[in-house]
Amino acid sequence: MIDLSEKQDAQGGAKIAPPDPWDPLVRVTHWVIAGAVLWNGLISKPGGTVHVWIGWIALVVLALRVLWGFVGPREARFASFLPDPRRAVAHLLSLLRGRVREHPSHNPAGAIMVYALWLSLALVIATGLQMTEWKNPVTISEEKAAVAAGDWSVLVNNATESDEHSEDMSLSRLIKQVHELAANLMLVLAVVHVAGVVVESMALKRNLVRPMIRGRS
Amino acid sequence: MRWPVTLPAKGRSFPIALASFIVLQAVAALFFVADVTADLWTTALGAHSVLEALVTSVLLIGIVLSVAQLRWTLREMEMQGRALEVASGDFVRFIERQFDSWSLTDAERDVGFLALKGCDIREIAELRGRAAGTIRAQLASIYSKANVAGHPQFVSYFVEELLSRASERSQDQREDQPKAAAS
Repeated sequence: MIDLSEKQDAQGGAKIAPPDPWDPLVRVTHWVIAGAVLWNGLISKPGGTVHVWIGWIALVVLALRVLWGFVGPREARFASFLPDPRRAVAHLLSLLRGRVREHPSHNPAGAIMVYALWLSLALVIATGLQMTEWKNPVTISEEKAAVAAGDWSVLVNNATESDEHSEDMSLSRLIKQVHELAANLMLVLAVVHVAGVVVESMALKRNLVRPMIRGRS
Repeated sequence: MRWPVTLPAKGRSFPIALASFIVLQAVAALFFVADVTADLWTTALGAHSVLEALVTSVLLIGIVLSVAQLRWTLREMEMQGRALEVASGDFVRFIERQFDSWSLTDAERDVGFLALKGCDIREIAELRGRAAGTIRAQLASIYSKANVAGHPQFVSYFVEELLSRASERSQDQREDQPKAAAS
């Protein structure tokens, strides 16, 4: 009944806190990417058609979010959460001491996490594209259908190409390793990200997940 | 004391729908772009691939326009929210001035606000941790200071002010329109 926002204003909160809710594009891209990472990291068959489809969708959604980082509302722009390791460490220390400050966009530690997640996602996507020779999922499923129907010419073409360049073989093995390493790194980062949100929510005594789903009801 | 200002839920579902649509559009566009570039790479430039390239670029322009539309809608909503906050701030200031002129005590002001918000005596008593009898006495004192017969008249005193402002505003808008059209 009695609005608490005035009280929070007096403490220098509310007014400079992150948006509640986040803007719709941030919310949609956040959950699509979260779903894509979890599905491709834990459920879908590596190299399968679904896996490639999801990878391509993640590529588009990441590209959209990057575009939004330049043209979106203030709190969604990169300019409001530039990576600053020193402030990130300071924020983590203040969290340990139990005295957290509100920030208008992502907090400095959260911002570092955002960039770490995006960079590893970009790495996973780039290596994934290289592994599938930049063929789009439609072509890949068409080729698979052709092979299943008994037309092995696609396989022959692919095989001769890789036999000719044995150096390429070790390079492609390296790319595959980077792909898997970056994917696992991303899953670990995602766990840390969720843990960070929980800790920060408890420190601020405010549910930080809700603004990412929907705003005040 | 501030009154919580929230936009109606109806207006808020549009941007989320638009954002989801942009994501879908972008996914669709990427496959077209990939297909067209693959075609242009492997086959000679023909009527088919030119048309495909045209369709793809139209799709891409559509995405850019959707993003601009979303950006515009969000800015509009932000401005509306701020205007609403200003208006509600004005109204609260008006109420406070009125309370001042009736020289209500601090306790009476709080009870008066809650009564205006539509709380009944039991709810106000609960919120303030006082006995219902105390609240009833405070309300009676407020009504006598405001020279109104009871709760309905007390509320309508402020509603009248709100309505007269609304009609002033719509008159202002009517006067503004010809000017806007002329310029």
